[in-house]
Amino acid sequence: MAITSKPLPAARVLEPPLARATTARGNPSQPPGWVGWAFLAPNLLGVLAFTLVPLLSVVGLSLTSWNLVSGLSGIEFVGLQNFVDLFVDPGFWNATLRTVLYAGISVPLTVVGGLGLALALNRDVPGRAVLRVIFFLPYIVTVVAIGMVWLMLLNPSAGVVNQLLGAFGLQDLPGWFASSHWALPALIIIAIWSGVGYASMIYLSALTDAPTQLYEAAQVDGAGAWTRFRTITWPSLVPTTVFLLVTLFIGASQGFGLIALITAGGPGDATTVVSYYMYQNGFQFYRFGYAAAIGMATFAGVLALTVLTWRAQRGRTLHD
Amino acid sequence: MTSVTLDTLDRTRLRARRRRRSRWAVGIPLWILALGFLTPFLWMLSTSFKRDIDAYTVPMQWIPDPVQLSNYATVLLGEDSILPAFANSVLVALLRVAGELLTATMAGYAFARLSFRGRDKIFLVYLATAIIPSQLLLVPRFIYFQQLGLYDTLWALILPGMFTVLGTFLMRQFFVAQPPEFAEAARMDGASEWRIFTRIYLPLARPVMAALGILAFVWSWNDYETPLVLISSPEAYTLPLSLTSFTDEQGALSPGLAMAASVVTIVPVLVVFLLLQRRFVQALTHTGIK
Amino acid sequence: MAGQTTLSRRAVLGATAGAGLATLLSGCGGSPGPRSSALQVWGGVPGASGPDELVAGFEEQHPGEKVAYTRFVNDDRGNLKLDTALQGGVDIDVYFTYNSTAMALRAGSGVALDLTDRVRADPALAPYLDTQAPRATVVDGQMVALATAREPYFVLVNEALREQAGVDLPRAWDVDDFHEMARALTRPGVHGAYSVPDTARVSLGANYWYAPDGGSNFGDPAFLEWLQLGRTMIDEGSAYPWTEVLARQLAAYQQNPFLQGEFALWPTAPFNLRYLNEPEDYPHDFRVAAAPVPRTARGDWNAGQFNNFIMINPRSTKLDLAWEFVRYWVTDGARAMLGGGKIPALDVLPDEEVLAGVLKEDPERFFDVDSFRHAMFTSEPKLMTDTNLTAVPEISLAVEQQRDLCWIGERTPAEAVSTIDELADAAIRRNQRKA
Repeated sequence: MAITSKPLPAARVLEPPLARATTARGNPSQPPGWVGWAFLAPNLLGVLAFTLVPLLSVVGLSLTSWNLVSGLSGIEFVGLQNFVDLFVDPGFWNATLRTVLYAGISVPLTVVGGLGLALALNRDVPGRAVLRVIFFLPYIVTVVAIGMVWLMLLNPSAGVVNQLLGAFGLQDLPGWFASSHWALPALIIIAIWSGVGYASMIYLSALTDAPTQLYEAAQVDGAGAWTRFRTITWPSLVPTTVFLLVTLFIGASQGFGLIALITAGGPGDATTVVSYYMYQNGFQFYRFGYAAAIGMATFAGVLALTVLTWRAQRGRTLHD
Repeated sequence: MTSVTLDTLDRTRLRARRRRRSRWAVGIPLWILALGFLTPFLWMLSTSFKRDIDAYTVPMQWIPDPVQLSNYATVLLGEDSILPAFANSVLVALLRVAGELLTATMAGYAFARLSFRGRDKIFLVYLATAIIPSQLLLVPRFIYFQQLGLYDTLWALILPGMFTVLGTFLMRQFFVAQPPEFAEAARMDGASEWRIFTRIYLPLARPVMAALGILAFVWSWNDYETPLVLISSPEAYTLPLSLTSFTDEQGALSPGLAMAASVVTIVPVLVVFLLLQRRFVQALTHTGIK
Repeated sequence: MAGQTTLSRRAVLGATAGAGLATLLSGCGGSPGPRSSALQVWGGVPGASGPDELVAGFEEQHPGEKVAYTRFVNDDRGNLKLDTALQGGVDIDVYFTYNSTAMALRAGSGVALDLTDRVRADPALAPYLDTQAPRATVVDGQMVALATAREPYFVLVNEALREQAGVDLPRAWDVDDFHEMARALTRPGVHGAYSVPDTARVSLGANYWYAPDGGSNFGDPAFLEWLQLGRTMIDEGSAYPWTEVLARQLAAYQQNPFLQGEFALWPTAPFNLRYLNEPEDYPHDFRVAAAPVPRTARGDWNAGQFNNFIMINPRSTKLDLAWEFVRYWVTDGARAMLGGGKIPALDVLPDEEVLAGVLKEDPERFFDVDSFRHAMFTSEPKLMTDTNLTAVPEISLAVEQQRDLCWIGERTPAEAVSTIDELADAAIRRNQRKA
């Protein structure tokens, strides 16, 4: 495979793509601004109409006390009272801490696992097409099935996992969902397990042909596998990694389907993460104003994290 | 001369053998790992043939005893057949996927490859909207959609799904990694912007569009809460809602019926996935990995 | 390349058509839709378990009238669906409320019609006016909900295990007898009981969470005794291990271990009887008897309640028909609901008919019928209705969380009960501040 026949991908690796996206502005060969607006318009109008409008009302709701059943006329403006209450609510802070643990452990491991899986599935392995579907299954299968299977796998006395651990001679086997110390780790394991298929699929779709051709060229040049990965594959995957980190953090801060199904936040409040705490306040206690305030607080936290991720990757690509 | 030929022949053969060996060296652990990912699906399949009393036995019962097909009969042909909901789900999912692919690729392209004032700020606002927990939107959306006259129509599910932030984000991240030189060259040749987008960048984006298509389909297919709040008549139920007919008065699901319905439900998703993921494979076969 | 462009063009075309169609049609949708001619009823019982038959009976009695029964799942999200719909002016005439959490919200929020005058005008409904053991929810002097069913609790007994252990079926007993019997029934592989009855409820009756001054009542020793008894029995093996209850989510599926003989005594209510007479789906080879709920030194409440409250939406345009339907449900229609294990709230049917209806076909094969007659009727279970519903959802959650922690052995009963006390007090105060 002659590398000279395709000069473009090489140039692309040398010049970091993200940096280029930002410098593209002011380029004389760029079309006039209205073209950009025209391309953006269909999506923008839809997002404005169907998401942003209801969303602004959430912001408003966070300044009120409302229980839904009292109707729109029952909405009472309380100013920042919800946020004051939130600040001194130990339930909220405990839930925040658990969310940080849950997301902080599960998201990076999911991304790393997804990348490894994608690289493996990108090779010529037997039954590759079927394997891809299998690893993506946890993302498709109904959450009920996932919950029930894991409950059985992690049963403290008769589950497969503890039987294996016992066979290795471990004493004091984890109580998993029957223990307030092990319930959150169990959920983290499930989150990683069900997320890697998703991450690997996104990675696979981003592994286009360009790096592979460079790969072969580099192989001819005698570059090691790690060097090849670091200099050729990775730079082209940075935007995708950012996408995955951001979406998985958002997912981890919002997701509670599995929690509602398996632990309902328990035992005690051991698995009450922020999203579930919000669910309890909104859908169980009907404190919609307070739930909206929790949502806004989560929003602030995740936004800060997103901006940080953004800055970090920008710095990295510029120095490359 | 002959020795050189032999040498190259040997080396080719050696490389082929090494490649074959590495094929299995990666393949076998991967398949073992895959078994762990198959378990929920296998359990689903097995439970769909079980009586409810056998569903949750510990340790797990993998082979149903007795095997019964009645769950499928109830789910497909019974009074609460999920088939009408199936049709609704297909309609909703297809329209959502189509709309999403169109609007997200265009918007993602605009954010990545076209420049206009305030572009990056708008993009940040975009990302921010995705961060608000979606459950919070349920009630405001209900009130709002009722004003619009969309309550209890499938449009309440379709329209918001056609314009998503995450899809735009995914496409933007893809286009940002594509070389702008193509566009510049084409512009010199006098190509229109639409032509540049559809003829140069869209074909490159096919693998990502396939991925987005799959994701959008799954999001639509498994969405429970939006239809729960926005749909009330059984005629407009989508699949996840129709599963609620298999819960008892206390809200506990009948595992046998629920899993039979889930098996029926998951088949189209697998078909869509298998069809679309061929697009990845195709994209990759161009690379000469073979 | 050519193939690629055709594909994308086709996709783009399809998508555009879809989007265009969408905008087109969305303009034509009418607000909540025209009021339908049928009476709209929302309930949580699956149509096939009685409501369909009841509706057919009503339509027969009222020619020309139509009733549409919509079933919602009686869980958090299902109730949210009903509440948003009620609030949003969706066409609902009659609806049901099954738990005090939802009742607490709906009763005082203008989504429930005041039925007082209609009930007063009807002698057949006189029992609803009783304030001693109320069967209706009254808020600020307005009767807003009528119980359609009563749910006497009882203790189900696996007769095979009882006979093997050689103990008698109790007809009147207290909590110590219960504990003793559970111990007698315990042997390798069998736990005496699933759990303990709510003995605090038995001692204190209605509104047991609230002290006379309206604050938390969890300082009452009855709650500590309840947690302590549960913990003792779990520790000694005479009650089912709570770790397994959590790890196997048995709260929702208690019938399975009972039918498989993993425990012998099952404190529960009539709605679970339906698992016991379906040999196809729930095979078992023993008969089941019933014992009344054991009393405590301080009280003999049954712990069961009047339940399944029917309510009328004040926005209904068919108030009179809606009332006719409500009246029918609690009187003539009650028979149709027997099969679903619903015992009518009013004494509109002879006990024997109710018994036969609830136990269904071939009762002697599955049940010791006489013991059920005793537990449900002749022992005269003392039912109640809570009238104080302050912070019910918050307190329920606190009780569940602390009970779990206590019974899996992570917190002592004293620690658990004092935490509940604190949380309940805080929740009550917050709700009072709002009101």
